[in-house]
Amino acid sequence: MSAVAHREAATGGLWSRMSLGQKQVIWAWGFLAVPLVFYAVIRFWPTFQAFYLSVTDWTITRPASYVGLENYKRLFADPLFWEVFRNTFMYLILGTPISLLISFVVAYYLDRVRFMHSFIRALYFLPFLTTAAAMAWVWRWFYQPVPIGVINDILAGLGIPQQPFLRSTSQALPAVLAPAVWAGLGFQIIIFLAGLRAIPVTYYEAARIDGLSEGAILRKITIPLLKPTLVFLVVFSSIGFLRIFDQVYNINSNDPGGPLNSTKPLVLMIYQTAFSSYEMGYAAAQTVVLFMILLVISLVQLRLMRDR
Amino acid sequence: MATIELDRLVKRYGQTTVVHGIDLSIQDGEFVVLVGPSGCGKSTTLRMIAGLEEISGGEIRIANRVVNDLQPKDRNIAMVFQNYAIYPHMTVAENIAFGLYRSTLSKSEKRQRVEQAAETLGLSHLLERRPSALSGGQRQRVAIGRAMVRDPAAFLFDEPLSNLDAQLRTQMRIEIKRLHHRLGTTSVFVTHDQVEAMTMADRIVVMRDGHILQVGTPLELYEKPVDVFTARFIGSPTMNLLPATLKEGGAELSTGGLIRVSPPSAPRADVLIGARPQDLVPSSPDTPGLTVSGNVVVVETLGSETLVHIENAGQTIIGSAPGRQIPKVGEHLTLHAPLDRLYCFDKSTEKALAIR
Repeated sequence: MSAVAHREAATGGLWSRMSLGQKQVIWAWGFLAVPLVFYAVIRFWPTFQAFYLSVTDWTITRPASYVGLENYKRLFADPLFWEVFRNTFMYLILGTPISLLISFVVAYYLDRVRFMHSFIRALYFLPFLTTAAAMAWVWRWFYQPVPIGVINDILAGLGIPQQPFLRSTSQALPAVLAPAVWAGLGFQIIIFLAGLRAIPVTYYEAARIDGLSEGAILRKITIPLLKPTLVFLVVFSSIGFLRIFDQVYNINSNDPGGPLNSTKPLVLMIYQTAFSSYEMGYAAAQTVVLFMILLVISLVQLRLMRDR
Repeated sequence: MATIELDRLVKRYGQTTVVHGIDLSIQDGEFVVLVGPSGCGKSTTLRMIAGLEEISGGEIRIANRVVNDLQPKDRNIAMVFQNYAIYPHMTVAENIAFGLYRSTLSKSEKRQRVEQAAETLGLSHLLERRPSALSGGQRQRVAIGRAMVRDPAAFLFDEPLSNLDAQLRTQMRIEIKRLHHRLGTTSVFVTHDQVEAMTMADRIVVMRDGHILQVGTPLELYEKPVDVFTARFIGSPTMNLLPATLKEGGAELSTGGLIRVSPPSAPRADVLIGARPQDLVPSSPDTPGLTVSGNVVVVETLGSETLVHIENAGQTIIGSAPGRQIPKVGEHLTLHAPLDRLYCFDKSTEKALAIR
């Protein structure tokens, strides 16, 4: 019996001689192949290409030739790079904590609101759907002097002197950051709300019976249990602020990154090096540096915030 | 330790009333089980005692003190939840110590209390573990430890065994019972499982649709159910109910046959005659009582006894045979229950009638 069955199987094609496990593997890789090829061609190959370009002096008009670490030496000696570097980190260390704090407070209280809950949540989410260009235009008007600018109107009404905002080298960066924070709030609130909802109600009830105050519940139960959500949002929003570009580019379109480079982030510098000066090799080196910064910061954050 | 009194307790959600003015008095040190199908208001009642739900009407007194408007923390009660409610980011010791959050004891005294509770519950070797490393039964013990450590006036249990598997449930049932014997703390236990209620309770409170149907010891409920609902709810498998008509000299079953019972004080026409499967055994009808016969349709062998389902005039009746005597399916069988083991209920009001 078994000999006959064996012979029959052996006479079939290669496919019929394979075990069920082998067939499953082939099917799985068959399906995975499409996104894999796409990723390799669209993502990974250009990434490696950027690494290669960063050690060449390619400028579109001239073929690329190997220059070693020349681009990196030039970058680290460039005072503009260090200013941009400082700006980028200002966006990060101001933007991440401020946006997380505001979105947590909003989510924490919105979670308790039953009246028009979905509508309010939708309102908060709306800026996230808006294009950065439109948003930047509106905020640019907000920052205008009296009588156009709403903010200066209010300040004037309160008897406070008018502020230059986007025209001042010290105020411009926070003024650009504000709409960026505002735009990201909706997303962060939704994620925080989901995190809050995932905490079982009985945890709070047990805490109430044990006599914890609202503050103690927040400190000892809510925030520790929100940690996975918090880690995700910190990493996600840090990457967002390190890569800030469209908010800056659009709010000051006649002098992007100005005044006097005081709002210019790294990505904008890369953009200008590549597509205004056409120094592709130099821009690629900047990209590699940005990549390293993102990688290091993300890894450090994950390390610090993992189980402690 | 304390007494708990419910006085015309009402709970309304908007237009819907879920607890209809119930009265209950729980003695100091008593273990009371609230039992009923889901949605009967038992959990709501417990949560009102705990202070987690506001009271819409009536009064709750714990240790003779009205607690209607007191915060849960000021009622000196401890609660054990169905999903344990122990915190995943804290160790077992920290979780148990959480019960002492408001206590003014010194650190070493708290530590001692925690260790004592852990010892009682057999958790001593697990104190530094996280809940994720514990089994379901151990987690529930941690929750009980957190409740115990404070030495509360009363324990409130909200279906604490429902998330455990059958074997563990039986074991935890005994552990909670033994713990109650040792501590002697007043306990209110909510469950939908009548076996849990029967095995654990000093007194059982049967609830349905926001009303208390009957309060009594497990045996009282088993022997003298006041209505059809309690009769069917308590005992497993459920009581057989056979429609009958009361007549001069006895009750005539709708399937034929007369049971010689002394008619109740106020004669009623239609009744239900009840017989528990355990009382309905294969035997010859030499004593007065209920006799039914029919073909065996299903046999459930339990080892200690054998449940026999027979078909009698379109109705399936469950009886029991001794463990080693297993009737065959299709066999004709006569079951008999003595007169003093029968129950009688008014068919329209479903209230029990005295027939003995």
